[in-house]
Amino acid sequence: MLRTEEMLLNVGPQHPSTHGVFRLVIKIDGEIIKEATPVIGYLHRGTEKLAEDLQYTQIIPYTDRLDYLAAMTNNYVLCHAVETMMGVEIPDRAEYLRVIAMELGRVASHLVWWGTYLLDIGATSPFLYAFREREMIVNLLTELSGARLTFNYMRVGGVKWDAPEDWIEKVAEFVPYMREQLAGYHELVTGNEIFVNRVKGVGTYSKEEALQYSLSGANLRCTGVKWDLRKNEPYSIYNRFQFNIPTREEGDAFSRYHCRMEEIEESLKILEQAVEQFPTAGPIIAKVPKIIKVPKGEAFVRIESPRGEIGCYIASEGKKEPYRLKFRRPSFYNLQILPKLLEGENMANLITILGAIDIVLGEVDG
Amino acid sequence: MLGLAKGLTYTLKNLTRKKVTYDYPNEPLPLPDRFRGIQKFYPEKCIVCNQCVTICPTDCIQLTGKKHPDQTKKGKIIDTYDINFEICILCDLCTEVCPTEAIVMTNQFELAEYSREQLFKNLEWLDENDENIRKVNKV
Amino acid sequence: MIQDLLQSTPSLLNFGIFFGLAVLLLFVVLGFVTYGILSERKIMGFMQLRVGPNQIGGKWGLLQTVADVLKLLIKEDTIPKKADKPLYILAPVIAFAPAFMVLATLPFTDAFQFADIGVGLLYYMAVSGITTIGIVTAGWASNNKYSLIGGMRAAAQMISYEIPLVMSLVGIVLLTGSLNLNDIVAAQEKVWFIFLQPIAFIVFFIASVAELNRVPFDLPEAESELVSGYHVEYSGFRWAFFMLSEYVYMFAMATLTTVLFLGGWNSIPFLDFIPAAVWFGLKFSAVFYVLVWIRVTFPRIRADQLMEFGWKVLLPIALANIFLTALLKELFKLF
Repeated sequence: MLRTEEMLLNVGPQHPSTHGVFRLVIKIDGEIIKEATPVIGYLHRGTEKLAEDLQYTQIIPYTDRLDYLAAMTNNYVLCHAVETMMGVEIPDRAEYLRVIAMELGRVASHLVWWGTYLLDIGATSPFLYAFREREMIVNLLTELSGARLTFNYMRVGGVKWDAPEDWIEKVAEFVPYMREQLAGYHELVTGNEIFVNRVKGVGTYSKEEALQYSLSGANLRCTGVKWDLRKNEPYSIYNRFQFNIPTREEGDAFSRYHCRMEEIEESLKILEQAVEQFPTAGPIIAKVPKIIKVPKGEAFVRIESPRGEIGCYIASEGKKEPYRLKFRRPSFYNLQILPKLLEGENMANLITILGAIDIVLGEVDG
Repeated sequence: MLGLAKGLTYTLKNLTRKKVTYDYPNEPLPLPDRFRGIQKFYPEKCIVCNQCVTICPTDCIQLTGKKHPDQTKKGKIIDTYDINFEICILCDLCTEVCPTEAIVMTNQFELAEYSREQLFKNLEWLDENDENIRKVNKV
Repeated sequence: MIQDLLQSTPSLLNFGIFFGLAVLLLFVVLGFVTYGILSERKIMGFMQLRVGPNQIGGKWGLLQTVADVLKLLIKEDTIPKKADKPLYILAPVIAFAPAFMVLATLPFTDAFQFADIGVGLLYYMAVSGITTIGIVTAGWASNNKYSLIGGMRAAAQMISYEIPLVMSLVGIVLLTGSLNLNDIVAAQEKVWFIFLQPIAFIVFFIASVAELNRVPFDLPEAESELVSGYHVEYSGFRWAFFMLSEYVYMFAMATLTTVLFLGGWNSIPFLDFIPAAVWFGLKFSAVFYVLVWIRVTFPRIRADQLMEFGWKVLLPIALANIFLTALLKELFKLF
């Protein structure tokens, strides 16, 4: 047999499909990947360490920059942790505003994933269609919070701004519009034979493996595990809404695709109900002291972010600043299965598999 | 083949749909009132309480006060006020804590400069920056 | 006129005339490439709800491509230190020259053609194959792993799709009894070959898209996997030559499709008062538009699936088509 040499290929940190500064060193034999070593840390900013010198309110803008595609959920997890420790009761109106903002963020985040994933696979148009809808969400959130990406919207005890005039109506109008566009997306992509052939059966893992690797979000649900913290451990006011947890059995990239697309639909259902139930008046922030001091002790809370379970651990010594702050960042955990998935795969599948995991480098590197 | 045909019809339908892009920079972007751009500072309103300096998560604000020139009045007035826009993240916390609304946000977001020195915005610059000032600053 | 010239004794004047005509054609092709790229970007823009180029040259961005080319020409010429220098410089030339050479045999109208050679179809196929060598050379000479993979992919793809491409045309050759492109157009005066040879057309069209390295077969330069494949290290006018050869091939392939399947410059019945050149232009534009349309819509096919599709699907279909055509031809002859 002909002796062939293995080649070491450096994918990233500057590469169009690594979604940021992610580096992957792969050993390839022809176009078959023998070994893959992910290298992370190019975007590490030390959020957790910085937080030890910051007041709780000051940490909120830093959480925006972790998972920058769904900053609202990050805002929420920190506020939720602090509120849990302080035992603050959140006003109803604030809870609804938070849920609407978070679900809009979830839809926007999945849209970005959808667009960029198709871009990785080689189709250019879906990206622009996805960003057309995302732009509407971003505009809505700008009207609400004042920023397009780094919202810094939630505060311990509630939210910073009340909904502007007509804002709730705009959200209500957006929901049917988005449903219509979603049907178009399925028309454009989901049935496309080339796309289906590229993602079906690619990057498959079993239920056990998913649990062993501590995967969460759509990466877990694609193997058939019905686990969504909004349903299993309802936080905020999620127990007031009717929605399903989309799951698939196959555990491949295509099932992850389906899970995420259906999650958009479920989010739209939540938005619809939240807009209906939205209280007409009321305070948007609970009575909290101006300088927030968390009682001595520790707490860990977890919620469902678009990428999986995001957790926040606070150890406090009763001061203005946390003694230790730790985020369980779902992208970081989901990424761990990548070397295993890539082994023995074709080069062309590298991008398909990496894209299907849906990582955000700001969150991976912290 | 059916999926491919469906995709083709979808793109064809979009050929004649309304374009969604903005004609930026020929036309300014429509921004809501709450949009957070570079700050406007009112020196006469400032009471030198230092709250904005304390709350700033990136420590980008520096200010000094001086005694009120009118001996009869108590308190201080502002002497220098600098924001370092190399590190300001426009988080809005300084305007949130300001008791007199001496510092507020504007819709001015085009912050690119040719040199780093120009990113240091001092009191005069922030005072003169008075386009598209945010109308509602507190809930 | 050109036929007489081709058969006359060589002289300096004849050389001058040929040279002048070739330069003229080059400018026609460059004009096409300029506005072909612009229209492609405009159509893509419209389909993606954007407006496309609209800054340089008025509302329609009429000078956008000119400006782009100008920028490429004045750009610094970089050659990687560890590159194989002579090959690196030679590669764009090898890639581009055949692209221009194939234009010589293509009949645009009954009057406008350069060389009416007997084996025009074969000439096109043979010469266009040379471009692959240029692309592989570029991939090798750049001394970059991405471009090497791109180059290898290009070689594999071009070779595997050349075969169904040629095979699909055997049916037409059987029906016409000639490899001459003029004869083929003449044979379509009544019925276009797209109706007589629908299977061949589909095979030919798919294979031609693959030959052109366009979406969904743009693996050699797969932007998102190989950064940009074989020309990743190229910049400035060398890179422009690769792009140019790609678009000249698009021009040639759209022409060939028109000539072989859409009846060339023949008009449809009762509309023959419209000049032949216009008919040709219309059909040509339609083919070009479909190519752009496909680019907007489809994702990229995977490398191994591409090979499987070429060898296991397209080639058998093309072969079956030859068999079927021969059978039908003989059967019709009997009656």
